[in-house]
Amino acid sequence: MLKRYPTLYYISSRAVWYFITFLAAVTINFMLPRLGPANPVDIIMARTAGGLDTKAAMEKEESYLKGFGLVELNKDGSIVRDASNKPVQSPLIKQFFNYVKMCLKGDLGTSFLNYPKKVTEIIAGAIPWTLALQIPTIIIGWIIGNILGALAAYKRGVYDGVIFPAALLANAVPFFAFGMLLVYVFALQFNLFPAIGGYAQDLMPSMSWEFISSAAYYYVLPFFSIFLILAGGQAIGMRSMCIYELGTDYIKYAKWLGMKEHKIVFYMFRNAMLPQLTGLALSIGIMVGGALITEMIFSYPGLGMSMLTAIQGNDYPLIQGITLLVTLSVLIANFSVDILIGFLDPRVKAGIGGK
Amino acid sequence: MNIKGYFRPKTMLAGALLCGLISCKSNAPKTTNGEVSFPRNQTLYMAGFQWGEPNTFNPLCDWPAFPVGGNYNLMYEPLLNYNSSNGQMEPLIAKSYQKQNGAISVILDSRAKWSDGTPLTAEDVLFTFQISKTYPSAPTAYVWTNISAVSADSVADSSSESGKAERVTFTISKERNNPLAVLDHLQAVRIIPKHYIQKQLDAANKDLAEFQKVKLDKDPVVSGPYTLHSYSGEKIVLKRRDDYWGKVLYENRLPKPQYVIHPIYKANDHFSIALQQGNLDISSTFIPRIWQKEKQGVRTWYSKEPYFVPAAMSMLFINVTKAPLNDKNFRRAMAHAINYADVKELAFSQYSPNLEPGLILPFGTEKQFYSQEDVDKYGAKYNLEMAKKLLKDAGFKSVFNSNGELEYMTDSKGQKVPTLSIKSPAGWTDWEAMVQIAVKGMREAGIDIREGFVDASIYFNSLPTADWDLILHAPSVNSTPSQPWTRFESVLSSRNWKPVGEKMNENQGRFNNPKAKDYNYKVDSLLRVIPNLNDDAEKLAAYRALNVIFMQEQPTLPLVYRPEQFYEFSVKNWDNFPNESNTYTPPQVPCFGVGIKALWEINSTAK
Repeated sequence: MLKRYPTLYYISSRAVWYFITFLAAVTINFMLPRLGPANPVDIIMARTAGGLDTKAAMEKEESYLKGFGLVELNKDGSIVRDASNKPVQSPLIKQFFNYVKMCLKGDLGTSFLNYPKKVTEIIAGAIPWTLALQIPTIIIGWIIGNILGALAAYKRGVYDGVIFPAALLANAVPFFAFGMLLVYVFALQFNLFPAIGGYAQDLMPSMSWEFISSAAYYYVLPFFSIFLILAGGQAIGMRSMCIYELGTDYIKYAKWLGMKEHKIVFYMFRNAMLPQLTGLALSIGIMVGGALITEMIFSYPGLGMSMLTAIQGNDYPLIQGITLLVTLSVLIANFSVDILIGFLDPRVKAGIGGK
Repeated sequence: MNIKGYFRPKTMLAGALLCGLISCKSNAPKTTNGEVSFPRNQTLYMAGFQWGEPNTFNPLCDWPAFPVGGNYNLMYEPLLNYNSSNGQMEPLIAKSYQKQNGAISVILDSRAKWSDGTPLTAEDVLFTFQISKTYPSAPTAYVWTNISAVSADSVADSSSESGKAERVTFTISKERNNPLAVLDHLQAVRIIPKHYIQKQLDAANKDLAEFQKVKLDKDPVVSGPYTLHSYSGEKIVLKRRDDYWGKVLYENRLPKPQYVIHPIYKANDHFSIALQQGNLDISSTFIPRIWQKEKQGVRTWYSKEPYFVPAAMSMLFINVTKAPLNDKNFRRAMAHAINYADVKELAFSQYSPNLEPGLILPFGTEKQFYSQEDVDKYGAKYNLEMAKKLLKDAGFKSVFNSNGELEYMTDSKGQKVPTLSIKSPAGWTDWEAMVQIAVKGMREAGIDIREGFVDASIYFNSLPTADWDLILHAPSVNSTPSQPWTRFESVLSSRNWKPVGEKMNENQGRFNNPKAKDYNYKVDSLLRVIPNLNDDAEKLAAYRALNVIFMQEQPTLPLVYRPEQFYEFSVKNWDNFPNESNTYTPPQVPCFGVGIKALWEINSTAK
């Protein structure tokens, strides 16, 4: 029946696929950290067990296992034990359904390592910084990079001679090396920008002008550390896409017709941009990982470091919470781009309607 | 610095975005009274104790954020303080202590008060200790290994206003009979307010796990000179309490900094950068080549090598249940094969005096138990020829290829010895360097051994179960009244013996199995006797005997001395920090134990 509404059919079939991908991703996010040999309680016990005798250490370990929901419990709340009096570990499948049930209630659980902080609390405190740094950088970098790439391809000559090698260079420099270079030159040598932090150390986050201007000032170096590299990468991709488009028949035809230059550039840009759009959606996915490097170079607030320490300490709930967030944002970004391309790309559009 | 010059449209846009995002964040107000700025000349910045997001300020949690938990005296205070430079206990909440037969008692200072004005009494002390008896999963439960009962009464005291003072008596557990460990506890356990905590515990149905979810981060009731002002993922701010009871101990003076701020950095080199820029006043982190930072005003306790005051050792624990590591001659050969000067210089940035064999530090308060004669007679020093000779005498043969590289090694029966491995956390660069130097020396001596760097979580996981050949570990790093006994205990004791595969929290290498035929009962009995010795000559004799056994058996391989804590400071904004020529506190960060006195003596030099 849906086939009568091709657009709706297209959107809903994409949605179904994305939902299946989402389920698979959540399952993998749940399983992966638990497959390793290390157990979060062992890691915590290594830090807390010093000075305890064996019995006290065991009691403590069991109270952790119980608190984290990793062992089976009797009806009266005591721990189920096997023949050798060891606590029985909860089967993975049971833990999984528990997790899904809690997720549906909007509860991502309590972090093991940052006990008693809720995972949602940790994410809520850090995510604004990650988003504020990454989203504008990615979008502005993407736009500027694409414009420069198109310019280099269309104008050739001096433009190409300057932009292309510069973009290649920017793209070839690793994130962290470039960030450290910025710190060294602009913060340590010339003392123009601060080296560390997200705002002046004598302030607390607030809505005051003082704080906002300080945050903006501290924003400059982290911004450029990502922006230049990202724009370089986009420019290279866009340049080659545009060169390809410039060789196509429709551009040649348009030129023969004597169409205005900006009109031709617009057609070329629109078509060359489509694969770049998919690239933009994917870069949302590496956002949290990319944030980690920026965070470590500048001690910038954000989610990356929480993710790293969570993985190092097998903090299952926090790993799950962050990966869930990453999964969701990648899928939503890709889904939106898919829909957008459906409208923008005449070939896809024709495919939708042609059935 | 003028910031207007750097404003560009883009940063303005970013600012606007940030502003929008932060507005949705700030609906949970973290600033308690609207102050947002901390004047530099009244603020002391110290870092290195809190690495991640502050989780909780509840003292009954296992790992609360700075400055709750640990040995910090800023918010909660212990009964007594241990001064590691002279080995004396100094008064705090307790005015004095007395050792009696089978018990230690303290007289409380009747002037002590909580921040809400309630007097700090014996009730609070009893509550603090009892709580870990009621709840064995409370963080201070370890005290009940060494204490069997706590009780309170009152005694005549002419110095107090009422003529009476409260006395709390700690009965030493008969089974352990260890007064030294009880003294350790008296300076380690921070007293908590009964009237405040009990109420909240009751509200949580007396369920500790439920109460541990309460963060106590708003106007907590504390006894120390500072209290929590505000915190975020980037810093913890403490504010001075102008009605701190303890100012009577300082001629009615208050500590100088009005604010103590602990910034949270995400990378190691940021501590060094911030110190050099004068943005951080005190750091407690490993910063290599500290002498290069002197021009920028960065200082340490000693202005020359070793820069820091050594108080503990990093060592390789050996799994003595495995062949060939069960052969003490093999272990001694290993000890002879390590170039200790290289470890100190290349891995530890010269931050250690030259290592002497044995488990007793040849300086500081432990020097009285050190015997150079024993060390010269039994100790293993770097000597490759000696290592090779020991191996040869024990029947081991090493086969080198034409380049002089070790191919393999055989034991006395002619069988190939499997390659040994030293477990250590990957990415801890100074630890990695130590292991590499040890491996290099041992391979030169003909021992087939390699580095085994693993993820830190796996390292922690396997340390107590001994599923390794050798492992790098720094046992009992705190300077406490019980050193060097605690160090011996953590290396040699087989009182909590467990076979390989189960967990042991001391003597992880399984030295001296009590069920084995060659069990040396002397080790455990000396460990049991020493805490009760009062005569200095007897103590010296006992420690010498233990140290000789250690050197003969070599159950672990000490590599280098390390400080109790790293303590670097910048003189850009504050001066008169304690150092080698200004020893008014022991070499401790000014929030730690006796070190807190420095907060009263430093002076601001900020403009």
